[in-house]
Amino acid sequence: MPNDKNSQKIVDIIKNAARKHSLFVLAYGTGCGAIEIPPTMTSRYDAERFGIRGMATPRQADVLLVTGYLATKTLKRVIRAYEQMQDPKYVIGFGSCTINGGMYWDSYNTIKLLDKYIPVDVYINGCMPRPEAVITGFIELQKLIAEGKADGATKYKENLDWYRANQKKVIKNWNMPDYNW
Amino acid sequence: MREKATTLYLGPQHPGITGNMMIKLKVEGDTVVKAQTHVGYLHRGFEKLMERRNWLQSFTIVCRICVPEPDPNELNYSRAVEEIEGREVPERAEWIRTLMMELSRLASYLLWFGGQNGSAGLYTMPQWSVGDRDYILDLFEELTGGRVYHMYIWPGGVRRDLPNGFTDRVLQTMDYLEKRLKQYDQLMFENTIFQRRAQGIGWIDPAKAVEWGVVGPPLRAAGFKSDVRIDDPYLIYDQLDFEVPTQQGSDVWARALVRRTEFQQSINMVRQIIDKMPGGPVYNKIPNPMKWTIPAGDAYVKAESARGEFGYYVVSDGSNKPRRVHVKGPAYVHGVTLLENILEGANISDVSFIMNSLGTCPPEIER
Amino acid sequence: MTENSLDKEQQIVNHLVGTFQNLTGKVKRNRRIEVSIEKKQITSVLNYVKDHLGFIHFSHMSCVDWLEDGYFELVYILWSPEQKIQLLVKALVDRENASVENADMIWRQLNTYQREIREMFGVNFIGMKGDKEFILEDWDNMPPMRRDFNTVDYIQEVYFERPGREDAQNVRETISKRTGEEIPEVATKYSRD
Repeated sequence: MPNDKNSQKIVDIIKNAARKHSLFVLAYGTGCGAIEIPPTMTSRYDAERFGIRGMATPRQADVLLVTGYLATKTLKRVIRAYEQMQDPKYVIGFGSCTINGGMYWDSYNTIKLLDKYIPVDVYINGCMPRPEAVITGFIELQKLIAEGKADGATKYKENLDWYRANQKKVIKNWNMPDYNW
Repeated sequence: MREKATTLYLGPQHPGITGNMMIKLKVEGDTVVKAQTHVGYLHRGFEKLMERRNWLQSFTIVCRICVPEPDPNELNYSRAVEEIEGREVPERAEWIRTLMMELSRLASYLLWFGGQNGSAGLYTMPQWSVGDRDYILDLFEELTGGRVYHMYIWPGGVRRDLPNGFTDRVLQTMDYLEKRLKQYDQLMFENTIFQRRAQGIGWIDPAKAVEWGVVGPPLRAAGFKSDVRIDDPYLIYDQLDFEVPTQQGSDVWARALVRRTEFQQSINMVRQIIDKMPGGPVYNKIPNPMKWTIPAGDAYVKAESARGEFGYYVVSDGSNKPRRVHVKGPAYVHGVTLLENILEGANISDVSFIMNSLGTCPPEIER
Repeated sequence: MTENSLDKEQQIVNHLVGTFQNLTGKVKRNRRIEVSIEKKQITSVLNYVKDHLGFIHFSHMSCVDWLEDGYFELVYILWSPEQKIQLLVKALVDRENASVENADMIWRQLNTYQREIREMFGVNFIGMKGDKEFILEDWDNMPPMRRDFNTVDYIQEVYFERPGREDAQNVRETISKRTGEEIPEVATKYSRD
């Protein structure tokens, strides 16, 4: 592969175009938003038209869809799943409760701001968001990918210490491996 | 060679698990020796949140307790508040509430059709039934404004009357679903793969079922004629003509048949409700919600949801906020003690299949 | 509802009052009975109603925190499938070092309820087996469902809040200030103040 700047740009464009049309979503229903995923994926709304489909394991998935509020117990598993995912990886925050706590703003067991713990590329608001909104969110993510702006994973690597400090503030017993890139 | 026991973690991130929970399985070969469920991944502390909200604000969050079927929550909360306060509900509101309950039961069963077959590897059924479920969600949306969370049944009645021509559209949807049900039969019940998968799997001992706290379709599949709609009649169920289907098998197959029969019955009930529905007001106005106080007292109300008996224990201390709202979802017993018990001796591949047949729904276990 | 239809319920209440000392009971409504017992009677009453009165189905167990009066109220809710009656058995427990006899040998699913109440209220069930953690994980504060646990203080200490949310002011007003949009009269009529 030639190493000059222009050809690298062309490679990036082709790469991003390919990436945006095969978004494998990790099948992890973290909150109540998981109920709108089956309609989105099945016959009526058929998200596979856009190259969006489910994937069972984190290592083969591209998109982590955080469907709603995260209890602290789930946050630990979500971080684990996110760190197991391989680049390129993107995060979509789904529902009002990932944005500002939503109706659980005074709950003692759910986090309020998802982007303090893992980098979020796209937020979809609503309680709960309709399948059309979910698809719109994915299209928004595809646009960001095509422009090369969906760089949450890079941000996470660069600011790992800051994210880790926030995560450890909530997760009191950190008994899992500290990935270090 | 001697087989050694290994530990498998099913979930919380696993496509076969219903909702967000974890089962720790000890397996020897392909057989489960011991199962232990871990819940709490969806705990939001609803009961604590309600201590801080007044009676009407609490009504808007109760439906979030159970996602696949939010309406029994609203109904139970409203009925409990009405029982403590002694508030009358207009007759038409009771009929509309019953209509909502039956529609939500249909929607929930359609989701279950998909889950049960999806966990057996039959992926056509989820495509069909989840797609058909959307027609019911469309009706909900027209009536209440929300697809999933309706916030429609509130203390004193329902939020608004049926829109013009709504009943015709409900009847159309019922005709469509009845037609589809025949195709579901062909795809599911006449399918040898499903028959072989389901028969004899996930057996619950009928002699112990009542004592273990089994409720809903699993209890009826064990041969008990138990249904809150008949045993402890609420709303206007005593004016409707329906039967409680029972089966003797007590396995996944029997539970599927019970749900299949109930699906048909719910369609018939919806038709009866629309046929007999009286006119009149739908809402008995509550005072200013900010100053609305409920006299001291407590009430335990229950309703039959698609998964079984849904109970609400509500306590008031005479102030404008609930003292305690404690929710008992059917999955509380099904998802923990019962599941741990009947998974012993099951094949690993059947674990998710059995879970679906019990209708385990984690959000109502931990709330 | 006629007086006659409550006969069945009244009979059970009378029977229980006659059998146990210090037991008070009343018929709440059709199919609902409520009895209040002492803490030490819990297992014996539960055993008795299960074996002799047909309340074989355990529906629910709840706990209410009466902070001002200094006790927890444990509520055992049973169902008799034969007579179709719901029975609420209530017992008061002191809030300080609350401990009750374990009853999960009567109904095994009671173990789950008791574990939840132990975790959420800090009521100790003497002799109960099962993991300490049920719903919460690594919780090091006061049991969260107690009335004196203040969630707002806790979340301010542990979680982040989206800026703009902390004052809990009138959102509509804030938005109208930002965008210059006028608030319709209807909206002001039903505002918080």
